[in-house]
Amino acid sequence: MSILLRFFKRFLLYRGALLLGLICIPLAQLADVGITLLVGNSLDRASEATDYEWLTTVLMLMGVYAVGHCVMRFFQRWLIVVVSRQVEVDMKNELFQKLTSLPFAFHDRSRSGDVVSRLTSDVESVRMVLGPGMMYTLGALIIVPISLGILFTIEPLLAVLMVIPMFAMGFTMKLLSGRLHKQSTAVQESIAGISHRAQENFGGIRVVKGYAREDQQARLFESTSAVNRDNQVELGRARGLTHAAIHGSFDLTFAVILIVGGVAAIDRTLPVGDLFKFIDLTLKVFWPLISIGWILGMLPRAVASAERIEELLNEENPIQDGELRLAPADVSGAVAFENVSFTYERGTAPALANISVSIGSGETLGIVGPTGSGKSTLLNLVGRLFEADSGHVLLDDHSVKDLPLDTLRGVLGYVPQDSFLFSEPYDENIRFGADHDLSDDEIDDLIERVAMASEVAEFVDGKKTLVGERGVTLSGGQRQRTCIARALARDPKVLVLDDCLSAIDTETERELLGSLRAAGQGRTVLVAAHRLTTVASADRILVLAADGSVETVGTHAELIDKPGWYAETWEQQQRTESLAQSIEREVQTTSTTGAPAGDAQ
Amino acid sequence: MSSASDIDHSELVVTKAWDSSLFKRLFRYVRPHKRLFFASFFVLLLLFAGELLGTRIWRGAIDGPIKDAVGQADKSPYLSELYLWVAGYLALIAFTTVLRYFETATLTKTGQAIVHDLRSAVFRHIQRLDLGFFDKRPTGSLVTRVTTDIENLSEMFTSGVIVLLFDSIKVLVVLGVLLTINVKLALITMATTPILIGVSLAFRGGARRAHREVRARLSLLNGYLQEVLNGIRVVQVFRREERVGGRFDDALKQYFIANKRTIFLFALFFPMMSFAVYIIQGAALWAGIKSIVAVDLTYGEFVQFWLLLNMLVRPIRDLGERYNILQSAFASAERVFQVMDTEAEVVTPAAPKTIAAAGTSPHVTFEDVHFRYVPETPVLKGVSFEVPRGKTVAVVGATGAGKSTLVNLLLRYYDVESGHIRLDGADIREVDLEEVRSRFGLVLQEDFLFAGTVRDNLVMEREGVTESSLQDALVAAQAKDLVEAMNGELDAEVAERGSTFSTGERQLLAMARALAANPDFVILDEATAAVDSATEHRIELATAELLKGRSALVIAHRLSTIRDADEILVMARGEIRERGTHAELLAQDGLYAKLHALQFTGAA
Repeated sequence: MSILLRFFKRFLLYRGALLLGLICIPLAQLADVGITLLVGNSLDRASEATDYEWLTTVLMLMGVYAVGHCVMRFFQRWLIVVVSRQVEVDMKNELFQKLTSLPFAFHDRSRSGDVVSRLTSDVESVRMVLGPGMMYTLGALIIVPISLGILFTIEPLLAVLMVIPMFAMGFTMKLLSGRLHKQSTAVQESIAGISHRAQENFGGIRVVKGYAREDQQARLFESTSAVNRDNQVELGRARGLTHAAIHGSFDLTFAVILIVGGVAAIDRTLPVGDLFKFIDLTLKVFWPLISIGWILGMLPRAVASAERIEELLNEENPIQDGELRLAPADVSGAVAFENVSFTYERGTAPALANISVSIGSGETLGIVGPTGSGKSTLLNLVGRLFEADSGHVLLDDHSVKDLPLDTLRGVLGYVPQDSFLFSEPYDENIRFGADHDLSDDEIDDLIERVAMASEVAEFVDGKKTLVGERGVTLSGGQRQRTCIARALARDPKVLVLDDCLSAIDTETERELLGSLRAAGQGRTVLVAAHRLTTVASADRILVLAADGSVETVGTHAELIDKPGWYAETWEQQQRTESLAQSIEREVQTTSTTGAPAGDAQ
Repeated sequence: MSSASDIDHSELVVTKAWDSSLFKRLFRYVRPHKRLFFASFFVLLLLFAGELLGTRIWRGAIDGPIKDAVGQADKSPYLSELYLWVAGYLALIAFTTVLRYFETATLTKTGQAIVHDLRSAVFRHIQRLDLGFFDKRPTGSLVTRVTTDIENLSEMFTSGVIVLLFDSIKVLVVLGVLLTINVKLALITMATTPILIGVSLAFRGGARRAHREVRARLSLLNGYLQEVLNGIRVVQVFRREERVGGRFDDALKQYFIANKRTIFLFALFFPMMSFAVYIIQGAALWAGIKSIVAVDLTYGEFVQFWLLLNMLVRPIRDLGERYNILQSAFASAERVFQVMDTEAEVVTPAAPKTIAAAGTSPHVTFEDVHFRYVPETPVLKGVSFEVPRGKTVAVVGATGAGKSTLVNLLLRYYDVESGHIRLDGADIREVDLEEVRSRFGLVLQEDFLFAGTVRDNLVMEREGVTESSLQDALVAAQAKDLVEAMNGELDAEVAERGSTFSTGERQLLAMARALAANPDFVILDEATAAVDSATEHRIELATAELLKGRSALVIAHRLSTIRDADEILVMARGEIRERGTHAELLAQDGLYAKLHALQFTGAA
């Protein structure tokens, strides 16, 4: 509970609006109660009245109360809920900033779905309880005592007795909300199950049809759908139970009024107008009372959410700026690994074991090895995405840990393996790389350097075309080249290429490597690759073994003459260089028709 | 980030809130569950009657014992009479409380029974559609047909159509009952009720638009968050934390603005509804008090009137919401029926020809086959070849040469534009579709594994796959130790889309799947992705085992497969450029020979 109070402090930033909103709650409630009293009193007065001149005054007063109630109710909701949304904005911004600042190791170990739900469902459940929840609770906490107090002055016994079913109702509501929550989670999960089945089937329709498995698949789907139906029916039952409990206790309150009030009325201690007050005020406290039960039911979830949010905000960031003052301009770009070892948090065996290799500024280091030998991991250590467990990663003889992050990452041009691009205009993705604003000419120049100019020109809006589903879908090779352009936009001292040429055909690769070399005068290049032609011209090639240790280091010429993984793989890759690709190239050069290749299916 | 195109278009379909032809069609799915449907209606009816009776009891008690006791010295007979009313009231409460449980439970059961049938029917239908249909649509939008759209319809059955119908009846009946109590009061209420309905309906459109905007903004916001998390490496290495933070804040502001609009509408709606109710109550009070003074109206009648008034408010307040539910349900129904109205073109003919039974290798011929996926681009331009019984034909050529199209046509994923594909002499278009497809064993390039156990995936409930044929297939496909290494072996669960297996392993499993049914004819599309040399070796062995003694059409990438084929077709641009065995092609000294030489001198 105290954790929710801590979160409530965020609301106090908007205390002016909040306070006004909170003041509106009792005012609105009082006006509403006032109307009941007016009507009840009028009923009693009518029994003795012979004229109804006084009715005009009553109606005018009722009008004033009605307007007052409505205006207050508008402001109450408007002010309080808007503040709660404002707090939501603040929380989300804070969480987002925290997330982007947390080290890569954190993101690597947490599932992104979990992290997203911190910002979505957790923030929402905290907001719900502290914003609208508080509004409803406060409303209920005011109108219920006021109503009961007034009723108590009229007929104490009745007021006391009618409380019993009322609270029974709030209590049942709280009791059942757990079951409701459980059932609705089950329903959500089974809906996701249906979605998965359909996704899988429609995505794999070739296999389904090829094996004539339509009937079997339909049966599978139907059983998944039936699970959902049954869950829905269960949820319907839980809802029905809640519904019955609420209305049942509400009706019982009326029964108490009928019996106790009726007896009192017959004894002539209770005028009918007062009986009316009991009835009407009960109608008015019905929903507020239910809302209290509803909020109480949500509390445990909100507390859990608040705890998760706080945990994320308190997450420590071990990767901090180093002490050394060194400007990016003063870095020359020599990179060295000295006895570097690294084990993933979730891993049992080391990903990298005692790696030592160095490369002078302006030179190229190729990194190869079987899948899982730690090529990407090694590259990730340079920009401190991960921190080496032991040994040193050096840039210009300084440990990367001693450098300010701005300097270290400022001199790196990084091209990730997954060729990640944002769903933003194409040129924005390249601008992303530069620390300063790039002119259109500079962008064109970069596009030219990664051999994308003719392709970009064909996009609907040229370089302003959106990347992604709502714009142009880039091929793997196009994505990789764009990522290279983004890295070059930084004018980096050290270019880190993480197996980023795999989807580019050999022809383009050669062209691109040439252009990179031309542009890369004085640039250090670290390039990890699966295809050995990519690293063949590197100054040094580091061959990693499957267990993350160094198998050997050498130049291409040295390595192909030495029996081992490199020579073996080189030969195999030469042999399987796709016959199909060569045929197409041959046909293209000999063909005089120049017709475009048919649609690939 | 802020154009109208950001909004999800599928929600923008404008549909009438009531479309009787659509409703008639939907009602066909109600028919099998007619009894449940009418049971729900009956429960609602009983409940309503109970509520009405409750107000009558109040009136009875007030106008009966409470009124009669005035001025009487001996109260006991009146008290006994009151207890009778109370007893009746308690019995009624017990009755309605039980009914309230059934109200929700039965309505849900009805709605769910109906939409389960509908969902299954839609799924079955979509599955039967041509591949061309799937090519044109993203999988996600098809999934929506059996998820979101069906959810909308379920909402309509549970809290839309029956309840709306019933609410209208409720309003009319309550107004009718009011008439029997006091004509003047009833008329005043009838004159003022339209204000209530007006507010509710006027609000409907705005609420829908506002909610849609909030949803769209929220999905943009969460989409961006997801994107940044996916690219967090790039963000951090490039030190762009502030830049993405700024963009996130922009998206968040848009979302906040959309939220404010919704809050404003709702902040306005509830007080306005209350105000309309107050107007009715004020008018009722004015007329009621006058009548009481004129001894035209009893207290009991006034109280009953007041309670009935309360019964009117909720149905009317919910009117707008129900209307929106109906509207989006009809939009969904329209999309669903659009799919249901799409007919498959590739179907079994009315009178299928019979072909030789399974168990013999069929003889396949392609005769001058032409085909195009889209009108402007011919993909196959007169392809003829044959796969004689027990022989392997390998096809080589670049992406886009038309290799995969051969497979697509042979499996009748699509029908040829002109020419013939014959299976033992019969045009495949004249044979039963399932019969054609069941003759082939299929190994696709990125073969698809479904959620379920490994066994489910290999057996796929095919007749003729036995435990022993499965075990043999695993051995032949070199997949035995792969399966044994898994926790649970054949009963191990396959992760979504088989993501725990590498491409090479997936291909081995696909081969085992094909081999398990001992197919007459194998269609193999070799994976191009690089695999390590150990897996490469196993694939070679498995391929040899797969092709042994069977007719086969192979889209080949492995030199070993190509070399061993009985005939090699070199395809380029939708035509066969060269054909012959490996030796013949080398002797021809054409394209194939030239490239083969090039690759083995290492010059490529």
